[in-house]
Order: sequence, then C-alpha cells, then structure tokens
Amino acid sequence: MADNHDAHGAEGGGGHGHGHGSPFIQHHYDDAKHQFDSGKLGIWFFLTQEILFFSALFVAYILFRAHRPEIFRYAHHYLDVKWGAINTGVLIVSSLTAAWAVRAAQLNQRRILIGCLATTIVCAFGFLGIKYIEYTHKVHEGILFGKKFDPCISSGGAHLITKKNMCEGTKASACSPGDIDQRPDEPGWQVACVAYEVHVKYDMVQGTEDKVTKDPKTGAETTTQVPVTKEQKTEVSRSELPVCQMVSHGAHGPPHPENPPCWEIAQNPNVCKPDEVAALVHYPDEEKRGREVEIDLQCDPAPKATDQGDIFASTSDSGHRFGKPTFVSQSKPSKHDLEMLEAMGPPPEHTNMFFSIYFAMTGLHGIHVLFGIFVFIWLLIRAIKGHFTPEYFGPIDYAALYWHLVDLIWIFLFPLLYLIH
Amino acid sequence: MASTTATAEPNYFEVSKGFKSWALTLDHKRIGLMYLFGILVSLLVGGAFALLVRIELFSPGETITTAQTYNRFFTLHGAVMIFLVIIPGIPAALGNIMLPIQLGAPDVAFPKLNLMSFYLWCTGAALLVLSIIMGSIDTGWTFYTPYSLDPSKSAAIIPAVFGVFVLGFSSIFTGLNFLVTIHKFRPAGMGWFQMPLNLWALYATALMQVLATPVLGITVLLLFVEHTLHIGIFDPTLGGDPVLFQHFFWFYSHPAVYIMIVPAMGVVSELITTFSRKPVFGYRFIAYSSVSLALLAFLVWGHHMFVSGQSALANMVFSALTFTVAIPSAIKVFNWTATLYKGDIRLQTPMLYALSFLILFTIGGLTGLFLAILATDVHLHDTYFVVAHFHYVMMGSGLVAFLGALHYWWPKFTGRMYPERLGQTCAVGVFIGFNLTFLPQFIMGSRGMPRRYWDYDPEFTLFHRLSTIGALILGISLFVTVVYLFASLKLGRKAPQNPWGGSTMEWQAPTPPTLYNFPEPPVLHELYDYSDLVEDGDNGWVRKSEQAKAKAKES
Ligand SMILES: [Cu+2]
Repeated sequence: MADNHDAHGAEGGGGHGHGHGSPFIQHHYDDAKHQFDSGKLGIWFFLTQEILFFSALFVAYILFRAHRPEIFRYAHHYLDVKWGAINTGVLIVSSLTAAWAVRAAQLNQRRILIGCLATTIVCAFGFLGIKYIEYTHKVHEGILFGKKFDPCISSGGAHLITKKNMCEGTKASACSPGDIDQRPDEPGWQVACVAYEVHVKYDMVQGTEDKVTKDPKTGAETTTQVPVTKEQKTEVSRSELPVCQMVSHGAHGPPHPENPPCWEIAQNPNVCKPDEVAALVHYPDEEKRGREVEIDLQCDPAPKATDQGDIFASTSDSGHRFGKPTFVSQSKPSKHDLEMLEAMGPPPEHTNMFFSIYFAMTGLHGIHVLFGIFVFIWLLIRAIKGHFTPEYFGPIDYAALYWHLVDLIWIFLFPLLYLIH
Repeated sequence: MASTTATAEPNYFEVSKGFKSWALTLDHKRIGLMYLFGILVSLLVGGAFALLVRIELFSPGETITTAQTYNRFFTLHGAVMIFLVIIPGIPAALGNIMLPIQLGAPDVAFPKLNLMSFYLWCTGAALLVLSIIMGSIDTGWTFYTPYSLDPSKSAAIIPAVFGVFVLGFSSIFTGLNFLVTIHKFRPAGMGWFQMPLNLWALYATALMQVLATPVLGITVLLLFVEHTLHIGIFDPTLGGDPVLFQHFFWFYSHPAVYIMIVPAMGVVSELITTFSRKPVFGYRFIAYSSVSLALLAFLVWGHHMFVSGQSALANMVFSALTFTVAIPSAIKVFNWTATLYKGDIRLQTPMLYALSFLILFTIGGLTGLFLAILATDVHLHDTYFVVAHFHYVMMGSGLVAFLGALHYWWPKFTGRMYPERLGQTCAVGVFIGFNLTFLPQFIMGSRGMPRRYWDYDPEFTLFHRLSTIGALILGISLFVTVVYLFASLKLGRKAPQNPWGGSTMEWQAPTPPTLYNFPEPPVLHELYDYSDLVEDGDNGWVRKSEQAKAKAKES
C-alpha cells in the first residue's frame, strides 16, 4: 500500500517540481511507481466495467440462440467467414504490436515504440475498413435488423440469392408455379416459386401537341396544333402473384405461408423494373427426377411495342415467358450444395433478430476500436514528442491492456457469429 | 493545533479565485462542492415534481392537471431524484469531498477523471432537461418496454435515455476513482480494518457502481438504438424480448438501490458513534455487511419481476435470495443500536437524522420482506405499498442520511456552522412529514390502491390527503434546510476544527481544509476512540494530549 504523504502540503501551486524524474508524475502521487500502480489498478477496474458493458449483449445472444437456434443456424450463412477470419488476424497482429510497444517504451527504444504504435493504428484502420466492406455489402443486400431485414432469398437455391447477384445473373435453380403441385410429396425437396405475368397493352395514341413558332422579324409567337402519334403503355392485367410458397419437407417442417420473401423479390423495384421479373426456384432431387433444373436468373426486359400499335405482351401462347425452366445441366449438385440445401430452408420467422444481435455486438465493438484509434494516435504523438521513458510509460501500458480486451472480445464474437454449425 | 495550522496556509477557497479556477479545478473538494450545488438544485426540482404529483392526488379526478401531464410529473420526479440526486448524492458530492480527507490523502487517485465525471453529470442533467423541452418522458423512470418503444415518444425518450447513459458513466468513473483511491492512498498504518466505516461503505458502493452501472449503460444504449435505428432487441413485433429489458434494467437497478443505501449506512455509522461518544459496536460486522450487501445486490433482481412471467423456480430462488438481504441489514441495525446503548447521546441535527434513519430504515427494510414473499407480492405488486416501501428505503434512509452527513461535514468543508436550532427543527419536520406522507400509503397499498394512477376511488381520499399534507411538510422542511445552508455560507458562525468531537482523520484537517487537505501529515489515532477528546467551548473538541503539549510549549 501507499506510504505516507508527507511532502504534499508544502506545495501550494500546480508546479510539477516534486523531485520526480519525469515531468508527467502528478504531484499528488508519492512517486512514479505509486502513479503507475494506481493507473494500472484503475485500468483493470475499467476493463471489468467494459466486460460487464458487453455482457448484456452476450446474455442476449445466449438467450436468443437458446430459444431460436434455427435462426442462428440459418442466418450465419449471410456472414462472410473470410472477412471475419482476416479481421481476427488483423486484430491479433495489432495486439502483438501494442504489447511490443509497451516493451519498447520500457527499454527506451523510441523508434520501435513509434513503429509499433503506428502499426497498431494501421491495423485498427484495416479492421474498420473490412468492417465497412461487410456493412455496406449488407446494407446493399438488405441484410439488416428489424424491418430493414429484406433480402432476396431463394429458399431452394444452392446459394444465397441476394439482390445484387440476382440481377447479375447468378445461377440458381428454378421451376414454374405449376411444378409445385406436381411434386408435393417428395422428400428432401425445397421449393419456392414465383411466377409473374404482366399483360401490357401498348397503344399508339393519336393526338395533338402545341407547337410554338416565333416570327424572326417581329418576334411574335404563334401557336399551332400539330398531330402526333405517341406510344402509351397500360397495364391490362397481371397474373396473380403467387404467394411465394415455401414448400419444404423433411427437416424444415411445413411450409411457411406467412413468409413470402420471393414475392417481395418480384415486388421489389430495386431488383427489377416494374415489368420485369426475377426469381424462381427450386432444387430438384436428382435421384427421383433424374434431372437438374437450372435457370438463369435475370431480369427479362419488357416486350417491345410493335408497329401494330397494340399488343399484349407475355400471353399464354408464348408459354411462361418469365420464369420458364431452362434445362441446362444434368450434373448432380455438389456435396457442398447439398449441405447448403440442408441448412437453407425457408428463413425462420424473425431471422432479423440475428442481425439485431450481429449489428449490436459488432457495432459496439467497432466503436471501441474507433475509440482505441484515437487513444493510439494520442500516444503516437506523445511518443514522437518523446514523453515516454522507462520511468513513465503508464499510458501505453493501459492502452495496450484496453486493446487486448477489444481484441479478446472480437475473438469471442468471431466464432459466436460467423462460425455457427 | 486548530489555530496554529489553519492560518499558516490559505484554505481551498482562498488558494485561487475566479470562474476558471472552479470550472477547471482538479481539487476534489471543489468538484464535490459543485456536485453538491447541482444535487441540491436537482433535489428542489425533483421535490417540486413530487409535490405536483401529491397535489394532483389531493382529490379524486382532475385536481390540477390531466392524466397525461400527471404521468410526466411522476416520471420526472423519479428520474431526477434517482439519477441526479440520490445516486450521486452521498458518493459523488459528499464522498468526493470527504473520502480523501478521511484517508489523510491529498486528493483522489485521478483528479482529471473526477472533473470529467462532474461534467458528464452536467451533460446528463442537461439532456434530461432537453427531454423535458422535447415533450417529456411519461414512461416512469423504469422505461419499461414495449411502452417506451412507442415511436411517437422518441423525441423525448432519445435525450432522456442518452442522458441516463451519460449519467451512468459519470457514476462508473466516480466509483472507479474511489476504488483506486481507497486501495492506493491509505496512509501507512491504516489497514483495511483501521478504515472509518464510511470508507468501507464507499468502497462497497464504488464496487457496485463499477459492476452494475455498465449493464444499465448498455440497456439504455439499446433503448436508444431502438428509437434511432429500430434494432428490435426489445421489440416484440420484430421478435425481440421486452422482458429481457426488465432483466437488464433490474440487474442494474436493484444494485442501484444499494448504491443509494450503502453509503447512507456508512455515514450513519460515523454519526452514531460520534454523537454517542462510543466506539462502534461490531466494527468488523458492519464492515463485512456493507460488502456482503454489495455482493447480494447482484443476485436478487428477479424480485421485481415476480408477476412478469418468470418461471416458478426462478421466482422461488429470487424470493429466497431476497430474504438473505435481511441478514446484513439486520446486523447493521443491531450493531448501531448496540452502539447507542449506554452512550453519551447528543441530539444535534446530524444525530437527529441518524436516529430518523434508524427508524425509517427498519420500517423500509421489514416491509421489503412482505414484498419478497411470492404470495403477498402478487397482491401488493404495483400498489402504493411498494411505493411506500421504496421511499422508506431510498428517501427515508438514503436522503435522510445524506442530510445527516451534509450537516455533519458542512462545517468542515465550508468553514461555517449552520443554525443548530433551525436544523433540529427541520430534521424533526422531515421525520414527521416523511412518515405522514408514506405511512398512509402502506395502508392504501395493502387495500389495493395501484401506483402511478391519476384517479382513485373515493374511499382512498383520506389517505391521499394525509399523504399530500405530509409531503407539503416535508417539502417545506427541505426547502428551509437548503435555504439556511446557503445562508450560513455568509451568516454562519465560523466553524472550529472539530465541532462534533469526531475521531476520524478529517477532523485533523484545518477548517476549511487547505488545497492538499493537510498542511502537516495527520496523526493516525485509534479509530473511534473518544477518550482523548474534550469539549473546549467555541474551539469545539480538542485532544487532551495535544492541549497539554501546547501548554507545555507556552510555559
Ligand atoms: Cu430490488
């Protein structure tokens, strides 16, 4: 414990001359060691506080996962393990350099100290950069929390069909609406269908338009009516949008009639233009059907008006213009595809909760990283100014401890969020 | 000793002057004083809301305001009193001033952090004011979801919950500072069991502040993002869990009650021994019971949720654990009573408050057991019985002890005596007014009067009127107290170094103390040993041994 504080009273003002070696030893401490030990105890209490601060989110994670494990099994496929793993590595490296910085300060190696602090800062920025990539990707694809959870989902697809890759023509399996009825009882099938037919009438409308002519001499304007022919497009009828049936057998239980993400795909103007259609559908059971169905998912352009002036697009005589199955492959789905198939049923109700937890935890962690960056920049400036000596290096030690905790929390978050099986 | 040291060096008021010397001060006493000022102002504001609530309830139906506004009044009363007054009351204000002095130390461990805590407190208070301007919260101070998720209330709730978040960090940093100060700044010779009991209590309190408050922090932060981003963790329409909010909230807010009561127990221990001129009976028991209360505080939060759909097993466990809280509480009460036994009791204002505390805390503690019993809680839950119970603990004990401590140390840190007669009168007024306010509420509650209701059946009118009259007596007493305390800064008699005959270290510091508290290193006397202290007229109490030394020098 601390020794007596004899010397303090005599000094009235705020000067630092206490016989201490470093000018950064505050005068209410007995000596450098007293200050260092107090700071160290303080940072440990602070870290305890930090752990409790995060603990509520971990408790929420445990409860939601215990109650709804299927959400977590389902939703973690949206996270990119690659980025998560890289970030884990980046943080571990930065933790190493932070620890090394403490060592360098103790040994008075100023160059190494500055280098280590700078590396830590660079790594921290790298971490946030990767997090930024992950977050923007999710924002684009509607993989967010609460009501903002609005991704494109192919429940039967071997890949997660997201808004972005859908319109770029990623391959996924497909069927037409009728297919659902044809094979309701086959086990191991997961079918989701959307069909969408729009009947559009293109009329060439005769009418007049005002034309203004200006007399170059007098400047007077005269308005004349000129006949024009214009194309007018009207939607005549629309095939009833099938509620996207999530027919799922086996492990995933009965269909989810209240969960129509595919329907939303078709509706979503971000995916396709109003007259276009995306989406569609299922994975056949190779054994039973003896064929593989695939279709290019793309946004078919609306039919062009002909000079007849009056057409119906997408009539039944042309078959399923949209969402027609195209038989492109006879190959078996890969083992990986089958595993994904197994995991990806229709999204369980409230899959959005996973992303509430994900964004709350990683967001709070990210704020801590950001705070750490400020602290390390402050330390870097002080290190360049040469403030730190083997006698006075407390702030580096405390910041490094803080940084280790931030690292440690990520090391818990990474498997809990990304590596769910 | 008093006259020789006090004049040698300027005291902490004289050492520097001007606005900046206060706004940027690192002196724990000045920071504590600024806290004290803010807390007393908040006390008057929170008290005004309480009176508005009580006046509205004077008669059934609309008396002075609508049901909607009434909801805001009781919410603001609760939020202001808890977050701005009682939680920081003893630790941040009085603890800040007295803790280093009781340790014989020059300052707290982290003076800059201490100043930051104060500014965080100011920010939190300003955000609560902003919330009032933005339409005011009406959720109750507990912010229960899903009611508090209503987006039409966002404008008021966002600043309010952010304010509470900031206030939480103010509290955490104060606790952290005190823990390190007590660990690292005890003088040579002062082991853990030579510490004044007030420091034990502040240590236990600080431990709870550091361990419980972060959970409140994340909870209100989540509520903040519920309103700003609609994240959905507590929102049942999105699959979230509103009861989880209650768990998180009470995981903090039960310990928060102890953050209010444990420091009160600490100062009462000091008051009772000083004013009965006897060493504390059962020192170690009181010390340990403070720490065990701090630890038990974390295990009983579920007793707030007996009717929130908790499992029967959880209810039983929480009920049983809640009973155990009675053990350390009773240990304290018995030890204080034993300290009083055959003591040379002096009924000065601080002691009147300490004795009030003893009575009110006993009532508050015992009625808590009624609520810990599962069967009776179903009947009493959310009635005025609960309201009366927690006011007995938080106000009858917490605030009364704060007032006792304030009068006890006022001469030390201001250098002025308050008017003793007026002080005693107000202390009696507080006691009578308090009981008149809350005893009828026990009866009303046991007969089924629900809490937070704007209207009531005519059969409750008499009790509500008694309660309102009590509240007015209480309000007037508190208002007069605040006025005479401020007036004493100019008009009060100059205080001697040791006006009460206290034996702990702070009475060796000059009155008021110097910048670093002790111009000469203080002497560590045996704790709570009053045999050496004698009264010496206007000089207050002096040590016989030192008097003899001084005389020998003169001759
Ligand atoms: Cu409780």
